[in-house]
Amino acid sequence: MDNELTALGIIFTEFYYWVTVVFMFLIHVGFCVYEVGASRYKNHTHTLMKNTMVIPLVTVTFFFFGWWIYFAFVNGPWIIGPLVDAPFATPWSELMGTHMGGAPQEGGVLTADDTAFWARINGVFWAAFLLFSWTAASIVSGAVIERIRPSAFWVLAVVIGSFTWIIDASWGWSWNGWMVQKLGYHDAYASGVIHAIAGGFALGVLLVLGPRIGKFAADGTPRNINPHNPWLVTIGLFLIYTGFWGFYVACNIPIIDVYGPAMLDVPDKTFFSATNIYLQPTTLSAITFNFLMSLSGGLMAAYLISDGDAFWTYSGGLAGIIGASSGNDLYHPIQAMLIGAGGAILAYKMHFWVERKFKIDDAVGAVAVHGYAGFYGIVVAGFMLWGYPSSPFEGYAPITPWGNFLGALIMFFVLGFFPALIVSKILHAMGKLRIPREIELVGLDINYETQRAVDAAEVARAIREEAG
Amino acid sequence: MSTGLVDNWLNLDTFGAIYPFVGSEGFLTILGLIFWFGWHVWQHQKESTEFKGDIENITKQGGPGKVLDDEGSREAKDSIGS
Repeated sequence: MDNELTALGIIFTEFYYWVTVVFMFLIHVGFCVYEVGASRYKNHTHTLMKNTMVIPLVTVTFFFFGWWIYFAFVNGPWIIGPLVDAPFATPWSELMGTHMGGAPQEGGVLTADDTAFWARINGVFWAAFLLFSWTAASIVSGAVIERIRPSAFWVLAVVIGSFTWIIDASWGWSWNGWMVQKLGYHDAYASGVIHAIAGGFALGVLLVLGPRIGKFAADGTPRNINPHNPWLVTIGLFLIYTGFWGFYVACNIPIIDVYGPAMLDVPDKTFFSATNIYLQPTTLSAITFNFLMSLSGGLMAAYLISDGDAFWTYSGGLAGIIGASSGNDLYHPIQAMLIGAGGAILAYKMHFWVERKFKIDDAVGAVAVHGYAGFYGIVVAGFMLWGYPSSPFEGYAPITPWGNFLGALIMFFVLGFFPALIVSKILHAMGKLRIPREIELVGLDINYETQRAVDAAEVARAIREEAG
Repeated sequence: MSTGLVDNWLNLDTFGAIYPFVGSEGFLTILGLIFWFGWHVWQHQKESTEFKGDIENITKQGGPGKVLDDEGSREAKDSIGS
């Protein structure tokens, strides 16, 4: 920080991530609004609090172990190499606190290079990843509303938010993850590393949790439990779209000398650029084109296929972005639009088919919009970007259909579906997964509602007495 | 008495960690983990108590069907302003 240009570069990077974090906060605001709109009146307070408490619980656990996992697990560990040291990311590291970048404490494991590099970037970089963690947990939250015990959901939220998703990021969403090195896995804006895993996780929970009472007729025919307030749902989804911008921008590294010693180390050449998480050059312009075009493709297709249903049109917009996100750093905008349209159609069709066939009650279509569209997005990117290098560094596998397909299976099933199934079965066996039947019938907010009625009667009586 | 390593801002270029009680990070981590884990345990106990109370409340009111009927008539009264 001893010259203006270096200081500007560092503080710009710090500020860049900070702005993305604030934008991404809107994703969570949107999820809260959306879930309250989608749930019935008798469950509002518990539904809201279930999602709200994801914020602190995933935050503290991401501080305690999530951030360290991201750096430590890039080799598996023990898939292609051992656990990697990440002394700047442990909760007891001095770099996980207010730090000016000077020499580290004596007797510690940090070097002067560690403190100089991480002092200003660690908190904002941590927070950018953390907001992804909230999103992963929040996606699951919507699917399980109105019958899961909040305490059980919060355990599951920590499992996906601070454990399994960040393992997948370490493996397939870092410049040196083993999936990138060996499979050529490419998922620039997280079709798989956030959405497919969260969809798979939600499906695993739903299989054990079961449907809401009244969702299916005796012969298995599904009934519609409509959102109590469709306008809140649409406002929530609009907010999620807005936060999604921040998500896309947070997926990039804003400025780096691609030929510099920290990267390719090519003598006598300089090329400053934004890069994606794999350190491949890209531009904000590219992802702005593709974000909007894939959103549009998704909205247009979903509007037609759902006959203008507001809930599914908005959800289709999300599925459009999610379906194209793996390759949205490289696609042409028209490709992004068409791929996005495919994601929306797939999500819509698959949601109702799975609901009818397997009696899965996914209250908000989260498995479809995030899981199936995310899976599709990874697979399509494998074909569309076939032969592209997966990394600027030598020795990495190129992008292939089979590499990305295997990656999609790892995201959806290995790190999403199966961990959720196992943890849910344990909670179920302990009788801790689902709320008691009587409470589900009358609504989780029964105590508030009873108290509200008592309060209202008391106030009415007092007013009547005042009136004489 | 000073809780931190900062006693002036003149040597800023040499400063590392500047929060109070530098060196206590391990202890703070243990405290933090206890707070987090304890929260889950306490919340679970409170939730179980709440559900038990809810079920008693529902039973006292005549069962889920009666509660739903009462709720329905209350909402109907609310909607017509009585």
